[in-house]
Amino acid sequence: MRAYECVYILDPALDESAVNEKSDKFSEIVKSRKGSITSMNQWGKRKLAYPINKSFEGIYTLMKFQGDNAILTELNRVFRFDDKVLRHLIVLEEHPEPEDTGQTEDAGAEAKQEDALQ
Amino acid sequence: MSAMRKKKKIKERKTTSKPCRFCVDGSAIDYKDEILLRRFVTDRGKITPRRITGTCARHQRQLSRAIKRARMIALLPYVKIYYR
Repeated sequence: MRAYECVYILDPALDESAVNEKSDKFSEIVKSRKGSITSMNQWGKRKLAYPINKSFEGIYTLMKFQGDNAILTELNRVFRFDDKVLRHLIVLEEHPEPEDTGQTEDAGAEAKQEDALQ
Repeated sequence: MSAMRKKKKIKERKTTSKPCRFCVDGSAIDYKDEILLRRFVTDRGKITPRRITGTCARHQRQLSRAIKRARMIALLPYVKIYYR
């Protein structure tokens, strides 16, 4: 199991329900392959630095998850065949800081327990 | 002439002694942090060399990777088009 983060850009013409539908679909892929989603963050509509498929805007979503290689191949495949996905990027989480965000709750809880013990 | 040469030398010394800002404040470089990355890119969208920004080799490597990733997801431009 490794921690990954994935950013994908959706077609700006999609409405909110369609965007949620897409994010559900992608998170389902992760979950169905024994992965777990650590966080889901919608950045909303943003201006692109350069036009992609003749659109100057895009709907950004950041998804952090843990899982195996099988998830990556499937996600890459699905992203590539989905016309509504303008761009996607899946990278390993390199900084301990985002990993910490998943663990801070645990760490915080532990710290509290320690405090309580003292 | 000699005065000019002296001036140049002093200037060079100053620039080389500038400390790496990432080493100083210990902040992480993230490809999603567009505002930070924009400071290390020229107005044409090129990565600024480290002799100008003063970042150390290690952080420059991390920076360039972050900038390239940011370009992939259209946070930063590959090239900036100038309209005349």
